[in-house]
Amino acid sequence: MERLLDTIRQAFDSIRSQKLRAFFTLLSIVIGVFAIMFAGSLVTSIDTTVQGQIDALGENTFFIFRIPNIMLGGGDWHKYARRPLINQKVYNSFRDKMGSNVLVTGMAKSAGYVVKHNILATDPDVTLVGTDENYFLTSNYDVQDGRALTKTDIEYKKDVAIIGNDVIVKIFPRENPIGKTIKINNRPYTVIGTLKPKGALLGQSQDNLVILPLSQFLTYFASDWWSDITIIVRAPDKISLSYLIDEAVGSMRIIRNLEPWEENDFEIETNQSLADQFGSLTGFLSYFGFFSGLIALLAAGVGITNIMLITVKERTREIGIRKAVGAKKRWIVSHFIFETITLTMIGGSVGIFFGILAGGLLGILAGTSFVLSIKWIIISLSISLVLGLISGVFPAYRAASLDPVEALRYE
Amino acid sequence: MDNNALIKIDKITKVYNMGMTEVYALREITMDVKRNEYLAIMGPSGSGKTTLMSILGCLDSPTSGQYFLENEEVGSMNDNQLAEIRNKRVGFVFQTFNLMPRANCIKNVELPLIYAGVPQEERIERAIKALESVGLGDRMHHKPPELSGGQRQRVAIARALINNPSLIFADEPTGNLDTKTGEEIMHLFYELWKNGNTIILVTHEEDIARHARRIIKLRDGLIIDDYINQNPIYA
Ligand SMILES: Nc1ncnc2c1ncn2[C@@H]1O[C@H](COP(=O)(O)OP(=O)(O)OP(=O)(O)O)[C@@H](O)[C@H]1O
Ligand SMILES: [Mg+2]
Repeated sequence: MERLLDTIRQAFDSIRSQKLRAFFTLLSIVIGVFAIMFAGSLVTSIDTTVQGQIDALGENTFFIFRIPNIMLGGGDWHKYARRPLINQKVYNSFRDKMGSNVLVTGMAKSAGYVVKHNILATDPDVTLVGTDENYFLTSNYDVQDGRALTKTDIEYKKDVAIIGNDVIVKIFPRENPIGKTIKINNRPYTVIGTLKPKGALLGQSQDNLVILPLSQFLTYFASDWWSDITIIVRAPDKISLSYLIDEAVGSMRIIRNLEPWEENDFEIETNQSLADQFGSLTGFLSYFGFFSGLIALLAAGVGITNIMLITVKERTREIGIRKAVGAKKRWIVSHFIFETITLTMIGGSVGIFFGILAGGLLGILAGTSFVLSIKWIIISLSISLVLGLISGVFPAYRAASLDPVEALRYE
Repeated sequence: MDNNALIKIDKITKVYNMGMTEVYALREITMDVKRNEYLAIMGPSGSGKTTLMSILGCLDSPTSGQYFLENEEVGSMNDNQLAEIRNKRVGFVFQTFNLMPRANCIKNVELPLIYAGVPQEERIERAIKALESVGLGDRMHHKPPELSGGQRQRVAIARALINNPSLIFADEPTGNLDTKTGEEIMHLFYELWKNGNTIILVTHEEDIARHARRIIKLRDGLIIDDYINQNPIYA
């Protein structure tokens, strides 16, 4: 114990006597450990969040988009931009073609609206969602109070709305919103229901929205030349999913009048394929973090070895004294390795500290439930330990193999 | 030769290889030292005194020749065994003190006990006793830079004594001290010798050598004289 304290004290002495070099070396350990831990924890937390969403959506749902939802590495923008819109007409024909025993819903949205109730108003950041009665069966939104949209609401283009929790908090702080009138772009809507709060996903609140009948939305909040409907199809079970996807592709191609040699001018994505795309994104992030961390640690390792070599040289005489009074080789080796490990552990701990700090901050900003796993703290500490061990071995052996007579003569 | 000799060396040679030339620091030196002898090794600068002492103290190994310490052959020992000898059976006092500047007196003196595996409480207790025995009872928490040369050499002597070694080597222990302080240090050695220790003293000063009971003179790595001092100081 006392020997350990002595070693730690000497590690600090080494740092003190080589301030600048030690600073940069510790910095690279901090960066390395930080990058590795942060990448690890971030990926863990994104994965948990995304997986949670997918589990909630159900794996039997698929989407038809005009353009892909996530594009990694740019993608062919020109190709996507030329694709025709999925408008009300396309959606209606698609729905007819798929028949009534398959759950199909259309959804269009537009962000940045102000919602008012009497004198209270939201910020101009509310998302309007236009959809139909099937939406509540295919999405993971649930009605809390009141009722959902009905077929009649859509057919008769009724002035009704279902509002999310963020909107309720802003404009109905004390009242029950059901039956009240809200105004969007000066159009009045009667609130028929409220949504169950869902919290944030990757920094985006999922409760800052108003759901309107699709027909209302398309008429008043989108013009025909840019209304872009996402079609959501829910298969009754996993077995019929691929069959339904084939059928959906066929229907869309007929509607779009595509020749057999032409490729699809729409995207089909399942929840699983979305998750996979996300997975490859987080995978990329984690490799990037891990790799850059590793490079930083490699540099740190070289730096630490250097510091320790200089320390050994500076303390040649002391090593000579220790040997002269009977220190065995293995004592000197372990002493210098411990000293190196102390050095790297200091850097590692600071790195972990910043990792936790940044992780917490990101958690607050991005609203991901940041999972700072003990696992990654332990991994980071182990990395620091191994780093100390590896970079300490050579200087330690050099110290231990000093000839006592030579060492005592060293000026 | 006496089989009960504490030290017995036979044709010890030490050669330093300096590239093209070879420097013979010691040439086939043969001698014995008995228990409780007080021996001074004398000779001009470069005659091989320090080299001989380093070999006798198991700090260095000879190029050729045999060395028996208490009838054990040192040449066949490994690093750990040599460290053990330096730790338990030998105490060194150097001309330049060789103390650790950032550690206080107690820490300096207890160092050999750390490597001997003595528990901390006992170490401190013994270090305090050793410091008191060299007259430094009131300087125990001072660090070497805060001490005078004579005081530093006392700390070094306390460290050399701490593990009750049978052999004490002192290489020019008064070389960096004024005459009066040197005399005080020599008195300490005298008392150690009186108490039964074996002392081997390296010096090139006649005045210092006169404290010893036996004097060996070296020149160019050879023993040129080996005699009993008929009228030592402090009889
Ligand atoms: N490490 C070394 N490398 C080369 N030559 C050395 C080395 N150590 C000692 N010598 C040589 O060995 C010879 C004896 O040296 P040593 O230090 O034993 O002399 P000394 O009698 O102690 O001298 P001094 O009174 O100056 O201390 C000298 O010629 C010296 O130059
Ligand atoms: Mg010398």
